Amino acid sequence: MQNHWAERAVRVTVTLMSQETTLQDPLRFHRKSPPCAVVIYGANGDLTKRKLMPALYRLAFEGRLAPGFAVIGVSRTAMSHDDFRDKMYESVKKFLEDSPFDEELWKSFAQGVFYQAGDVGDAESYKDLAKCLTTVEESRKTEDNVLFYLSTQPSQYAEIAEGLAGAGLNKGKGWRRIVIEKPFGHDLTSAGELNGRLQKCFNESEIYRIDHYLGKETVQNIMAFRFGNGIFEPLWNRTYIDNVQITAAESIGVEGRGAYYQEAGALRDMIQNHLLQVMATVAMEPASSFTSDAVRDERAKLLRAIRIMRPEQVPDNSVAGQYGPGRTGSQPLQGFLSEKGVSPDSQTNTYAAVTFLVDNWRWAGVPFYIRTGKAMPKRVSEIAINFRTAPLAMFRKATAGAEALPNMLILRIQPEEGISLRFASKRPGSGMQLRPVSMDFNYGSSFGERSPAAYETLLLDAITGDATLYTRQDMVEASWNAVMPILDYWSTQKFNFPNYAAGTWGPPESDEMLARWGHTWRKP
Amino acid sequence: MPTSAPPPNKEKPIKPDQILKELGELWTNMGKPQAADPGADSHDGGVLRACAMTLISFVDDEEDAMELGNTIAGLMKEHPSRSVVVRLKEGEGFLDARVFAQCWMPFGNRRQICCEQVEITASMNRLADVAAIVGPLAVPDLPRVILLRSARLVRAGALRKVLGLGDKIVVDSARPGAPGFGELGGLLDAGHITGDLAWTRITELRSLIAQLLDDHTPKTITIDYAGREAGPEARYIEAWLESSLPSTQIALQGDGSAASGNPTLITVDDKLKVYLKEGGGCVEYEMDGWRQRASMAKGTEEELLNAELAIVIHDNVFERALNRITA
Repeated sequence: MQNHWAERAVRVTVTLMSQETTLQDPLRFHRKSPPCAVVIYGANGDLTKRKLMPALYRLAFEGRLAPGFAVIGVSRTAMSHDDFRDKMYESVKKFLEDSPFDEELWKSFAQGVFYQAGDVGDAESYKDLAKCLTTVEESRKTEDNVLFYLSTQPSQYAEIAEGLAGAGLNKGKGWRRIVIEKPFGHDLTSAGELNGRLQKCFNESEIYRIDHYLGKETVQNIMAFRFGNGIFEPLWNRTYIDNVQITAAESIGVEGRGAYYQEAGALRDMIQNHLLQVMATVAMEPASSFTSDAVRDERAKLLRAIRIMRPEQVPDNSVAGQYGPGRTGSQPLQGFLSEKGVSPDSQTNTYAAVTFLVDNWRWAGVPFYIRTGKAMPKRVSEIAINFRTAPLAMFRKATAGAEALPNMLILRIQPEEGISLRFASKRPGSGMQLRPVSMDFNYGSSFGERSPAAYETLLLDAITGDATLYTRQDMVEASWNAVMPILDYWSTQKFNFPNYAAGTWGPPESDEMLARWGHTWRKP
Repeated sequence: MPTSAPPPNKEKPIKPDQILKELGELWTNMGKPQAADPGADSHDGGVLRACAMTLISFVDDEEDAMELGNTIAGLMKEHPSRSVVVRLKEGEGFLDARVFAQCWMPFGNRRQICCEQVEITASMNRLADVAAIVGPLAVPDLPRVILLRSARLVRAGALRKVLGLGDKIVVDSARPGAPGFGELGGLLDAGHITGDLAWTRITELRSLIAQLLDDHTPKTITIDYAGREAGPEARYIEAWLESSLPSTQIALQGDGSAASGNPTLITVDDKLKVYLKEGGGCVEYEMDGWRQRASMAKGTEEELLNAELAIVIHDNVFERALNRITA
């Protein structure tokens, strides 16, 4: 009875509060996206074909884009609007995932697709773009809101931003935003230089640094899991958690990207950006609200709290690896040094493992082990939270060691997104025999709903001005700070590469790194 | 692939405890490795039990069991539930129950997802027994949603007997024999959380109109429909616009044909026209001489229920529109 009255009271309150007249229905409508033009630099590139255009089309399919919407592709190749539309038509049809293709909708969507040829080094090209934007604004009613998406070589980011500013395209009657892809510099100094040049052209709040890992549904679900439930947060600290292991393993090699990869390496390519952002999401303090700056402030604070290694600490807390020939499954895989475009004496790391410590009250003394590698036994990304064992081993005699297995919480990012908890259970029968069992929540299959691709989420966020899942200058610099001592130390070493066979979990030194703490890697 | 336990003898009394025991046995059996696959790794196979609510569907016995089964199976992917289907039939003194599980193997996975189902067949005079059986079968601590598809239940005026079983009652007022606006208004007045699939069907259209109108307040909006009398969707659009834009003149006009009263065209100040296609799928709109197409869901019952089951709180905008219609 009491509940019934409480419910009535809530209903009356809500009704009174909503007397304002509006057509909006927040309970059922998707968030509103404003009219805008998306200008894609590198429109002829792979990312545009495989990810960006399919994501924009899918957003149109779901009715998430405003009627006043346009895409302008920019690249060096001379092409007509129709040629570009035809190319994008083929790409969207080919790369659209888990989604039907509607020819009629494409025709309507394609009316808003335009092309502008231009060299990023040519100041005239920006004036041409300005004219094109004016025409598009008039015909498509984009209200002079423009999102510039730089899907180009990172070395061109600053040049394009300066070109846009030179033509006055960084300001307008509507909003202006610029999206850049990682890597944000190749070290702390170059990241600082890039930020400095970008910020001369755009305000920091207008710069969206995309990290597609943060757009993944399960990474976002970490926040829902931690802060939407009351039972986990009290355990989420050094008192109950023994260590945290973050793994991002690929079963393939560099597959023709040897030349690019040779410049980057696993530490730069994965740990400095994606995995440190994941770690920040796992370990950050609760934000006071789910708003862009509140969440990013907490992530940044965590990244700044990572202990910076002294040079002499690097060997014990990091491992570099490079795969040699081997097999993944039944498939033979050539070693990294045999890859096209790779120097035969390359010192590039295709595997990196690091022990990070966080200097704050919550995490003091808890090691965060991060590893990533190519040519591993399977493709898997996950976070394993290892809890401390029960304080009193009262079942030890009857359990043959099973009780000593601590509770473990696994947050799986890919391929099967989900959460599982390992705990001890009594075996059926007489006596008190314990055994570990796993309680599983499979995100993708418990909910059959299609998860949006990371680029759909992130593009829509940029269009609506929500930067929560984008990284900020201070976050980029804090994560470079954390890895720079390792990069500096490694650059002085001559590694005996290759040091692990394709299809294995990395070099033995990686196991030794954990053994020093009395831990072992989880085999995913 | 339903896994059936043998239906209990008709003469036996139906006890919730017994049904729950049979459900438990069903899960135990499904968890065992298949005899045909003795080498299977028990960690790789098996089934995953998922439950987010209890879905209680009241249907008439004549309704196509296969169609309903497919709809409920489709819902399980987004809203894994314990499903209780109550089939109501003519005659007297009949009451029967069986349990089974509906399973599917998600693409690329090694483990089946299964949801449990209880089917109760009862004659109308056993409704009180049905309520006594269904109540204890609901999964504790999770929402209970009633899907009311039985015209028989409405005709018999027996709604009240089953309403207490659910936190939310979902109907489709556009279905023949379904509860109309009067009954829906009564449910609202009694404090029930209510959903109407006729309202859910126009969500995407409403969203598009809201987006197109942005913050502008038009002088007139005309809703054209095909038929002599406006159907529930046309009435809902009118009520929604009236309650949201009090200073705008809203008109509803039919073409006098024998059609079912579905909306066909919405005209805003002669500047915006939204053309609706029979059967859904998309709409076309014309604004300042600019014609565009917008994709819309087909509005299958499964899609609509998926949307409706996600809302188990009072829906203010819906209730405001319904109150306007029933006032």
